[in-house]
Amino acid sequence: MNFNLRDWGASIWEKSNKWQRLAIGLSIVALLFAAPLLEKTFFNTPSTPFISVLFYPIGIYVLMALGLNVVVGKSGLLDLGYVAFYAVGAYTAGILSMHTKLNTWEILPIGIVLAMFSGLILGAAVLRLRGDYLAIVTLGFGEIIRITALNSASVGGANGISGIPNPPTTFGLKFDLENQVTYYWVILILIIITVLMIRGLSVRRPGRAWESIRQDEDVAELMGVNTYKYKLWAFAFGASVGGAAGVLFASKAMFIAPNIFNYNISILILAFVVFGGMGNIWGVVTGAVLLSYIPERIRFISDMRMLIFGLLLIIMMNLRPDGMLPRKKREKIKQVGGSNE
Amino acid sequence: MSKEVVLELKNLTMQFGGVKALNNVNLQVNKGEICALIGPNGAGKTTVFNVVTGVYVPTEGEVLFQGKSLKGKNRHKITKLGIARTFQNVRLFGEMTALENVITATDVHNKSGLMGAIFTTPRSRREEKASREKAHEILKLIGIDHRSDQLAKNLPYGDQRRLEIARALGTSPQIILLDEPAAGFNPSEKEALAKLIVKIRDSGYTVLLIEHDMSLIMGISDRVAVLDFGEKIADDLPSVVQNNPKVIEAYLGVPADAS
Repeated sequence: MNFNLRDWGASIWEKSNKWQRLAIGLSIVALLFAAPLLEKTFFNTPSTPFISVLFYPIGIYVLMALGLNVVVGKSGLLDLGYVAFYAVGAYTAGILSMHTKLNTWEILPIGIVLAMFSGLILGAAVLRLRGDYLAIVTLGFGEIIRITALNSASVGGANGISGIPNPPTTFGLKFDLENQVTYYWVILILIIITVLMIRGLSVRRPGRAWESIRQDEDVAELMGVNTYKYKLWAFAFGASVGGAAGVLFASKAMFIAPNIFNYNISILILAFVVFGGMGNIWGVVTGAVLLSYIPERIRFISDMRMLIFGLLLIIMMNLRPDGMLPRKKREKIKQVGGSNE
Repeated sequence: MSKEVVLELKNLTMQFGGVKALNNVNLQVNKGEICALIGPNGAGKTTVFNVVTGVYVPTEGEVLFQGKSLKGKNRHKITKLGIARTFQNVRLFGEMTALENVITATDVHNKSGLMGAIFTTPRSRREEKASREKAHEILKLIGIDHRSDQLAKNLPYGDQRRLEIARALGTSPQIILLDEPAAGFNPSEKEALAKLIVKIRDSGYTVLLIEHDMSLIMGISDRVAVLDFGEKIADDLPSVVQNNPKVIEAYLGVPADAS
């Protein structure tokens, strides 16, 4: 495979000047905002409304995959309980709308902050563990949140919370069953903001700290990286993104219940990250889009679709074990001369 | 000596179960000198490094850095205070470029964090630029600036070892601990390395050096300390240590008629 999509994209980007980059960026964004027009084409999902598929699963899952990518892909912390933060966000929206008059936009920052706090609390407790141990404890945490919700009558127990209001009409845009495209636009904006934030982080000190932790935590610490602090930040950042996804999901679905937030979601999001290419934003986005879209596209073969989905994963992981668009290698000069050994 | 002491080990004992890797070791490293730490395999040289950098907590005794005890300090705090090290077996961040490896180390003195990076604050911008320039300077000093954009894992072995030194210098240390920097080098590379270590000392760093190559040690060290089975058996000028019977015994064994 000589053609490499990642390098091809990167080379175009590197050759462009500031204004060309702005133009490329804006046209991509414009195209993304126009994505609902694909409804009339082959890409339409036959069994479900395409525009709602764009929001959920695609939009929500892309957002969550981006958040988890900071934790798993960039910092190398295997978190199998990511759904917990999604649940925290969704339940924040549910509980606040039950007891207060706050609308979705007011709840959103609260949900993000609460999810971030739960990330900090979990992180403070478990980030002294590494590798498999960390994975198991986070898996447990994800289940704890779900089971707590299941057994708390105040949040509806197994019945969950229903009647969560849709977002209010904003800037003349309506959010209801007839106007679903607005949800897609909102999540698209959130995704773009998240991507910009992660890009900013990646190329600066936090990105280097995360990268060094992923590659060799002990050495990172000895080179002066406050590994505990940066691992905690990675967790908190990932958690707040998950929380944002949760709030939006709840306000669109109008109904949440504990069984929506089972560990399957954590595994699924992790699969997006691994499939797309750990640590690479574009890889993760592509992975999440494809893997959340394909099952919807082939929904008409009902039971067979998960089988095909699994098969696709296996084939893909055999062909490209590093994911579709692996982490950028960032090497510009080809090696000259042999080794000194 | 009236020299300023940078690093001092005081009655240092490090015990692993029943094994005393270090037994009541005292050592002073003066500012601006190359102090060599030698001894047969398993003598406890690397253990000294691990205790000084905070990897191990000493069973007894303490490490003083510029007169202050390092007791209870985190490893990254110790690095920030001014102690940097390299590793016996190269442990670079292989998937980062040479330059990024060094920049990561320079970050220890930077103040901007997560928020600075997200919102591109002027301070973050300034620090990023300064770090990059400093990293280039260090790579130039070490002589591998032409490798700065290559991934660390793709560098030739010799350059990897040099990059380890560059990365340690990136933390702006007062003292740099070099753990067998010449391991696997051929004679001409060793010679170049010796020059480099002298150059590092002359640039104002203090060097504590573990090495097995005697001609390298004797050629550049200002002082040589010898460890054997966790105890310090000699600590003097290279020429004096060379003729110390205890040192010869540690390396070559006891003469047959004496046992």
